[in-house]
Amino acid sequence: MEHILTTCVYCGCGCGVYLQVENNQVTGSLPSRNHPVSRNNLCVKGWQLHDFIHHPDRLTEPLMRKDGELVPVSWDEALDFTAKELTRIRDASNNKGLGVLSSAKCTNEENFLLQKFTRAVLKTNNIDHCARL
Amino acid sequence: MDGMYILSKDHLRSFLRKINKANRLVAPIVNRHGDTLFSVIDDLDYAPYEFNQQSQNGIKSFFFPQQETIATYSSQDGDYSFTAPSDEPEPTVYFGVRSCDLMAIMHMDDVFMGEIKDQQYMAKRQQAILIGLNCNHPFENCFCNATKSGPFLGSGFDLQFTDQGDNYLVQVGREKGAALLKQWNQFFTPASEEQIQNQYQLSLEAMANFQLNVHADQAIQRLQNGQVPEEIWQSLSLRCQDCGGCAFICPTCTCFTIVDRKLSADHGIRLRNWDACTFSGFTRMAGGHNPVHHKTQSIKQRFMHKLCHDVKEHGSPSCVGCGRCVDICFGGVDIVRFIKMAGED
Amino acid sequence: MTNSINEIEEAEVILATGSNTSEAHPQIARRMMTAVDKGAKLLVIDPRRTRLTELADVHLQIQPGSDIPLMNGMMRIILDESLADRMFIEMRTENFEALQEMLNKIDLAEVERITGVPLAEIRKAAILYARARRAVICYCLGITQHVAGTKNVQTIANLAMLTGNVEKEFTGVDPLRGQNNVQGACDMGALPNVYPGYQKVDDIACREKFSKAWCTELDPAPGLTLLDMTHSGANGPMKGMFIMGENPVLSDPLLDKVEETLSNLEFLAVADIFLTETAQFAHVVFPAASFAEKGGTFTNTERRVQMVRPAIAPIADCRTDSEIISEISTRMGYPMSYESSTEIMEEIALLTPIYGGIIHQRLGGDKWGLQWPCPDQNHPGTPFLHKHYFTRGKGHFIPGEHTPPVEPPCEDFPFFLNTGRVYHHYHTGTMTRKSEALNRESNQALLQVHPDDAKRLQIREGDILCVASRRGAIQIPAQITHAVAPGSVYTSFHFSETPVNRLTIDTQDPIAKCPEYKVCAVRIEKAP
Repeated sequence: MEHILTTCVYCGCGCGVYLQVENNQVTGSLPSRNHPVSRNNLCVKGWQLHDFIHHPDRLTEPLMRKDGELVPVSWDEALDFTAKELTRIRDASNNKGLGVLSSAKCTNEENFLLQKFTRAVLKTNNIDHCARL
Repeated sequence: MDGMYILSKDHLRSFLRKINKANRLVAPIVNRHGDTLFSVIDDLDYAPYEFNQQSQNGIKSFFFPQQETIATYSSQDGDYSFTAPSDEPEPTVYFGVRSCDLMAIMHMDDVFMGEIKDQQYMAKRQQAILIGLNCNHPFENCFCNATKSGPFLGSGFDLQFTDQGDNYLVQVGREKGAALLKQWNQFFTPASEEQIQNQYQLSLEAMANFQLNVHADQAIQRLQNGQVPEEIWQSLSLRCQDCGGCAFICPTCTCFTIVDRKLSADHGIRLRNWDACTFSGFTRMAGGHNPVHHKTQSIKQRFMHKLCHDVKEHGSPSCVGCGRCVDICFGGVDIVRFIKMAGED
Repeated sequence: MTNSINEIEEAEVILATGSNTSEAHPQIARRMMTAVDKGAKLLVIDPRRTRLTELADVHLQIQPGSDIPLMNGMMRIILDESLADRMFIEMRTENFEALQEMLNKIDLAEVERITGVPLAEIRKAAILYARARRAVICYCLGITQHVAGTKNVQTIANLAMLTGNVEKEFTGVDPLRGQNNVQGACDMGALPNVYPGYQKVDDIACREKFSKAWCTELDPAPGLTLLDMTHSGANGPMKGMFIMGENPVLSDPLLDKVEETLSNLEFLAVADIFLTETAQFAHVVFPAASFAEKGGTFTNTERRVQMVRPAIAPIADCRTDSEIISEISTRMGYPMSYESSTEIMEEIALLTPIYGGIIHQRLGGDKWGLQWPCPDQNHPGTPFLHKHYFTRGKGHFIPGEHTPPVEPPCEDFPFFLNTGRVYHHYHTGTMTRKSEALNRESNQALLQVHPDDAKRLQIREGDILCVASRRGAIQIPAQITHAVAPGSVYTSFHFSETPVNRLTIDTQDPIAKCPEYKVCAVRIEKAP
């Protein structure tokens, strides 16, 4: 069993949590004692941090709407279609018609990348996230 | 091989390397974040060999993981069939297991390998070799002297090590330990009379080295006689922050709940998850009635179980005095605080 | 937060306002409990009773939306009792005269009437706070999710500056950030008006810097805010959207309008780990890797940038959000190829002065991240802000007057509705509601109703209620409890079965753009 130290996703406190991993399965959560915030404690959510990771409802493949239904497609098809549609709307709306919601649950690096993409590629500052909600 | 042997500390690493060839090796290792956890050692060259920190986790989760698939199921025409997972557990040597954790394993064996045999637990248990390490210097929150589960143990291990400075005194417990010793007998020499005497001396010194002074007997007696005032339960329960950490970290807590997760219309998996008696859902019945009043009684059943019911049932408390719940508790509602409160006049 | 989380333990007085700390920030509540154990006084301003108010020395159970009159009242008492820190005001602040002038006009009897809190209690809290040598104020969305949110915050700052309770260790004003990386998402410029590090998009120098770094022209005009986008409507400016890991169909006010917007988009792509309520509107859904399957950093409420480490490989055919964004960008003719999140952080450090010294190599091992501002690689990070001086120079008093909630109860909608979080769930429940353990503890929203109101309306525990506002109606079971005051009801927004944001009002604070989630008017009746 391996213990991988990571940061809890369940509130702004930012506890240090070990994910216990066995055979590429996350089987448990354990607080870090040395971490300045967790200091060997977790709240009820932190102790269940592993619980959703392997949930069968996880999305496992790209989906596209065809005839009104979301159906599985290849990554290439989903990415190509997205790139085409975003390009089309950006150009048709003179850079005004696209909006992007980033996420307070994603990493700094992902947020950075998404705002860079929005500003540099989609040519708009229409980016926000639910900081106020 | 029977009796007492000596292993030079200089050769511990090389001994572990030998047994690592046929076994996975688990030991309480200080990791690069400064935390001490029982973990699989994957690089013997870089593993630290100073076993002077208490492991934050016990070895419970290696035998009884927090989340475990216990079956896959499928249904046909309303009939369900269950298949147990087929993966074979790896042979594993647990090194540096303290007396509290060894006692805890004996307790878990009672639960999972008593009348009802839990196949998954048993499979892992059968593949396990337990090498104990007596506690010359009990840690900050330890009180195994009060629960009579340490700091030195006479049984419950396959091999037992005692730190004697430059050497380990090695004691054989069960057959598996004897076999290991025999297989690698080049590492061991018989202990001298003086070294065996030293062992006894160290155990006496260890008893004097406890930092806490906990009187469990008195609390147990008052619990059994129903003499613990309600106000104590209330004040403790109000501080409980409902995290479940005390039960999760406790090396003898074995409560679990079972959930089924549907993978498709006709098949799915059955999981076993650790549960905690302090959760309101632990006792809530279908229909919503809860016989345990959460805010005032949630802690009561926990300590009753640990210190009263299990004493009646097994002759000893199912608290092994490891003190981990002291540190893990969000609200400062640990068993040491309770024992102190219950023992006060 | 201007302080670090652990500093709270050393405070002499803690004033918690608009924060259900025990449920929403358990680790901070634990520090408060420790401080109380050490003898600290805990003052809580909350229209509800919570686990925290049980611990409090003084609980000021105010009328919703009366924070400003309450704190102005406290300040007036502090002035009258000569407990203001005159030296601090003189040396470190400006515009005190304006505050004083406003406070002198205050009628304390009027404060008692508006807030519903006995004057003696207000006086007790004011004196305790003002006399403390080390006093911390923690506030959360109960302060900001009001039409007067910004003024509420300014008033808190006035209170702290009036008593000199800033600029020192164990002393300060601490907004508690709700979501795990809401601090980081703001820091990274996932906002319509600023680039990473709060560098303004309409500032020419900032824009040129990013334009040069990214080798492309950038739009000088600030963009649309979240609600401008999700409330765009069928014929609004939004034609296409890309949504990463957010669920506006549950989290935003005026859900009917959000649904109208999303269902009329020409194109919507959503990247998420589950098929959320929002993803169900999408034309393309990308399966994203969860936090356990990727590397990077989160920034917590004390500005601590810490590592997220991959525990396992992405499950099934999932990819990280970074990969998804890079792939789309590349296909749109703007190639992105970062070999890891470490490389992205290096670009962040290059362009973001407050993160200038933050690289992954400094965050791991026995280091526990770095607290920004951290301008260079020799800088140790900043555990508390405004040490010995305010960032802007002198602290500026901005007197604030009472701004009542926009939708007070009336004859048709006689109850205050307040919304918030519960301990066992997180935001829209996308993750926590997949945990059977958490669901067993809490699997539905309940509408908290005071026993007096319940008796009058003949509502029993568990009765299904129909709750209606001017914007919509939902059905929800009743919980009869003293946690709410008579005339107020409360519930949480985690549960898609009872989407309370069909009821909430979309009026926003004009500056911060926070919707007034904490107050709207509803009527309740037993469902037929």
